[in-house]
Formats: sequence, structure tokens, C-alpha cells
Amino acid sequence: MATRALLAVVSASPNRCFISPSRITILQSLTSSSSVHFHRHSRKIHRIARSYSSDSDSSALQPPDVSRLAQTARISLTPAEIEECETKIRRVIDWFGQLQQVDVNSVEPAIRAEMDGRNLREDAPETFENRDSIRASIPSFEEAYLKVPKILNKE
Amino acid sequence: MLSTLQPPRSLSLLPLRRFRNSKTIVSASSSTTSVISPPQSQILTTRRSLLSGETTAAEIAKSYLSRIRLTEPQLKCFLHVSENVLKDAQEIDQRIAKGEELGPLAGVLIGVKDNICTQGMPSTAASRILEHYRPPFDATAVKKIKELGGIVVGKTNMDEFGMGSTTEASAFQVTANPWDLSRVPGGSSGGSAAAVAARQCMVSLGSDTGGSVRQPASFCGVVGLKPTYGRVSRFGLMAYASSLDVIGCFGSTVADAGMLLHAISGYDRFDSTSSKQDVPEFQSQFLSVDHFESKPLNGVKVGIIRETLEDGVDSGVRSATQEAASHLEALGCVLTEVSLPSFSLGLPAYYVIASSESSSNLSRYDGVRYGNQVMAEELNKLYECSRGEGFGGEVKMRILMGTYALSAGYYDAYYKRAQQVRTLIRKDFKAALEQNDILISPAAPSAAYKIGEKKDDPLAMYAGDIMTVNVNLAGLPAMVLPCGLVEGGPSGLPVGLQMIGAAFDEEKLLKVGHIFEQTLKGSSFVPPLLANVP
Repeated sequence: MATRALLAVVSASPNRCFISPSRITILQSLTSSSSVHFHRHSRKIHRIARSYSSDSDSSALQPPDVSRLAQTARISLTPAEIEECETKIRRVIDWFGQLQQVDVNSVEPAIRAEMDGRNLREDAPETFENRDSIRASIPSFEEAYLKVPKILNKE
Repeated sequence: MLSTLQPPRSLSLLPLRRFRNSKTIVSASSSTTSVISPPQSQILTTRRSLLSGETTAAEIAKSYLSRIRLTEPQLKCFLHVSENVLKDAQEIDQRIAKGEELGPLAGVLIGVKDNICTQGMPSTAASRILEHYRPPFDATAVKKIKELGGIVVGKTNMDEFGMGSTTEASAFQVTANPWDLSRVPGGSSGGSAAAVAARQCMVSLGSDTGGSVRQPASFCGVVGLKPTYGRVSRFGLMAYASSLDVIGCFGSTVADAGMLLHAISGYDRFDSTSSKQDVPEFQSQFLSVDHFESKPLNGVKVGIIRETLEDGVDSGVRSATQEAASHLEALGCVLTEVSLPSFSLGLPAYYVIASSESSSNLSRYDGVRYGNQVMAEELNKLYECSRGEGFGGEVKMRILMGTYALSAGYYDAYYKRAQQVRTLIRKDFKAALEQNDILISPAAPSAAYKIGEKKDDPLAMYAGDIMTVNVNLAGLPAMVLPCGLVEGGPSGLPVGLQMIGAAFDEEKLLKVGHIFEQTLKGSSFVPPLLANVP
């Protein structure tokens, strides 16, 4: 999930460097309310989802497969957790079903509350002074890299 | 020039008013018993005491720290208390001694919800995945508070990542309601609300995505103010649902919540959803009660939302709300009933949108750049184990629900549909607010319930958000202020009235709320816990 998020940032801003503590612009992906990051990320996800979705026939929706969802979301669950989650999630998803009864014909989806125009700032890198504090938070750090294990190709 | 309220009183002893012992609902319009003076602004009182030399910032800080030490073992509002409170207070005293200009929040002690970044201070969002995380920067709201002289007392407890209504989903502790220690303070900003109610700090910051400032304000008997989406920068607020999140304010009076809001509001180039709308001088609304006319709210049109007083709302809450409506009428308001036909759809729409957006926002917590890491042989396994062990049950569930709602083939059926429902809800509110100055409703269907009561049933817990989520979907400002007490606990439980305004019209909310509060007779909203605490 994180790699996809970072790829979204990278693809949207080709000048940004993939994880390197020496390029402070990556900080923008670390901040929590960087809506530019979120919207680019979510637009990319929406494009992916829409390209796969066929007609929106809601009666053909499969119930949630918790194990598969957990894999997609990169969260490991114990068998007990899967069982507990499954019951609860099914109940909530069933409850979401009432949205299917609403007539939303020709109703525009609202992304968020109304806003006064686009407020994007210039895509110009700025130096962030407190690098040491960022480095101190990194769990596995070996100058100048964040250390992570290898990726194994599955199947 | 700041308006005046009541004459200043000493801050070393709280003005603890006699609490009327009553098992019945306290009427908002009751006029028996001794006259209880209206609550006074702690921010203004602090300022006056410091400028007059009556006390020092350090003395004030010491008395609050002492109260925290006495009450924290029972309440557990704070995840972290700052080591610099006295030092920060002494700095304010030095500036006073030099005759330097003081910011409007000088010496004011402020609690900050733990999902708001405070440089160098742990900020965990009450999650194990961020257990020792210390941000390298302050959130914009925190930066503004500090620039104006405010002192951050500590980080308050919350439901993990804002997902919950009780603080029971915190990875570290459950906060108790100062009105009854066996009950929840509400959530997710339960720690911030309880800390203000217990006078552990003067004001506090929370966040409100689906009611997380307003519902705990109601449960704890304090004022909770949710601004218009975009009024306050979200930079430094750990995102839960980016289209819904706002930072909100708690205070023991409307004036305090309003002044804190003013301090943190304004355009921020680091938040592209932050608004460039002017921030009016809210202080002009906080006139002293002596200056009120006989019908100070003459002609103000108030719409009471019909759907919020139907089945499923406790009779005590319904009565308190109706009495609050009568009080508004006595002040000159014109009350009508309004209907919001899409009202009940808000709850499922909210949970679809919030879980979907949270599944995206929480993907950044992967154990690589910050937070707890669980080492593994393979990268995906590292993600899975770090997140599996770092996230609590409710968070995992919502991420999975969101992952489902956004999956290929389901996006139109859930997320897009919920966005369409959002449009319907916005239209209903807009129409109602064209005919009325403000809308009112209860803040929650009940007063605070017992710890553990709703923990295992997610739908029962979600149902409690029915009064608040629509406001987030529409992005409107809203304020909850205590309006009465219902049965329960050692001395009754507070109930809050919710007031909803048009976009960016916080000024009107504050005006109506302040006048309502200052003229409300009958009960004081100081929890009985404080009777034995200096």
C-alpha cells in the first residue's frame, strides 16, 4: 500500500526522489494533511477502480472476503481475528446496503464540502531544517538509506 | 479591545458553585434557588490576572499541574504531560516583567488531542503503531497557539486514529467521564473534553470527523466547537477522512471556545483545502450579560430538526432539547420545525466515506519511515506484521471495510453512491439554512453511557453518531453547549444542545451560544469530582 502511495506521489511529480533522506521534498508525503498527495493518490485509485468496474449492478456484489481484503490492505490477521472481523464486517456492509435504495439518478457526487477554488501551491522544493528529527524516527536507517527487506515475487 | 465579562476572580481556587442535587431533569428556565452567576471566560480571566499582577503564569500553571496530579489516576485524560509547562509559564512571566506585548493566549493552558502533531512531544493518535513517534514539526494550529503565548499542557487520549466514540479504542487507556467515573467521556476527542471539564487545562484542541468534538462536549458538559471545513488548517492533523476532518475547540464557555478558534483559524498554504475566507473578530460577540437587551436574540430564526427528536432519542434528552428551545424563544428567537428528508441516510453514507478515505490515509503507516516496525524477511510481510500488530481492532475493521468499498467493481455501489447522498444532504441543509439563521438538535441520542456498554456492537456505537455526521458531510460549522442535566451518575449527567450554522458563519453560532449560555438559569456545569479538588 505504501509503495503504491509513494508511486502515486512520484508519478504525479517527476522531480521528486523516491525515498531518500537527502531530498527533503519527500517530507510532503509524510505530512498528514497534504491534500495534494491525497487527491492525486485517490484519483489514481479511482481510475484503477473504474477501469475494472463493469456495470454498477449492485445485486452482483460479493460479500466481503476478509482474508483477501487483509492481503490487499497489507494487514496480517490471526484466524481468530478473521472470524471476528468477518461477522462484524458483514453486518456493517449489509447495513451499508440501504444506500442502494436511494434514488441518486442525476445527482452529482460531492467530493467534499464546497470550496473556494483551487489552492495548490507552487511545486517548488523547500529545505526542511529538522532532518535529524526525521532520521531519528526511521526504524531501520543506514546512512543514507532506509533499510527494508527484499521483495519476493509471489506465484 | 476585548469585551468584558464578569469581574475577575482568583484562579488559585476555582469558583466552585453549589451544585444542585437533583435526580430529576433540571429545567433550563427554572428560576428557583440561589442565583448562580453565568460561567466566565478562563482566557479573559487569565489575561486580566496576569496584566494586573494579581497572579503569575507560573502560579497558574502550578495549580493546574497539581490538579492534574490529583485527578489523572482516576480520569486518565492525558497520554503525555509536557515537561515544559512551568518553563513555558516562566517565559511568559519574564515577558510581562519586561513590559513586552502579550499574545491573546498568553499563559493559557491548552490540551492537544494526540492526533495533532506537536514537535518533540509524543504524538501517537493513541495507536501502538506510533507509540514513540515524536514529530519533527508542529501542526499549524499548534504553531499558532504557541505564537500567541499559549502553553501546551500535554497530549490527550482519544480513540485510535479518531475511530470511535468513547476512547475505549485507545491502545493505551480508557478515559473516565468526570461526571461519573464508570461512564465514557465520549469520543474520539474524549480526553480533550474530559480534561476541560475537570479543569486540568483551560481549553483544548480536538478533531471532529463525524462528531468527535461535539459528542464528547455533550457527554462531559463543556462547549465543543466544530468549525466550517477549511476554516482551520489540517496540516499536522493525522488524517482519518480527509474530506470530513476538522480541528475543533473545547472550552468551559462559548467565549473560550470561540477565542481559541479565532487563534487557530486562517488560510494555510500547507493545506490545499484551507479556505481564504476572512476570519471575523469573534470576540465582538462576547458581550457582558449586563449589556444584553431584554430580548437579545430578537428575530433570530431557529429551525429545530424534526428527525432528531423522533424515536431512538432518550426522553431526558428530548425534554432538555425542548426546554433549550423554549429558552431560545424567551430570548426572542422565532422557532420553527424543519425537516431534512435525507437525514437518516447520513449515517451509512458517512461510514462508507470515512472508512474508504481512512483505508487510503492509513496506508502510510507501514513501519518503514516512522512508527513501530516488525522486522520480517520480506517487504510485504514487514508491512503486514507492522500493521497487524500496530493497529487495534476497530482500526483494522474500518480499513478493511474501506478497502472493500473501494475495490474494483464496488466503487460505484458504495463510495460514489455515498458521495451522491452527500450532495442530497448538503442541499437539504442549504435549503433549511436559507429559511433559518441556525438549526438546533440534540448532540447525541443519550447522555454518557457506561464503559463497556457498546464495545462489542459496532452498529450500536455508530448509531450514536446520528446527530452529528450530517454536519461533517455538509462541511458546516456547529457548536455543542451544555443545556441541561438528565438522571444518572452521582449528580446527574450533562446533555448538550447542538447549534448548526451556515458555512463560515461561526460568528452567528457564537453570538447565539454565548447569549444562551450567559442567560441559562438553573444548573452549573462543574462535575462533582471537583468538589474536593482545589
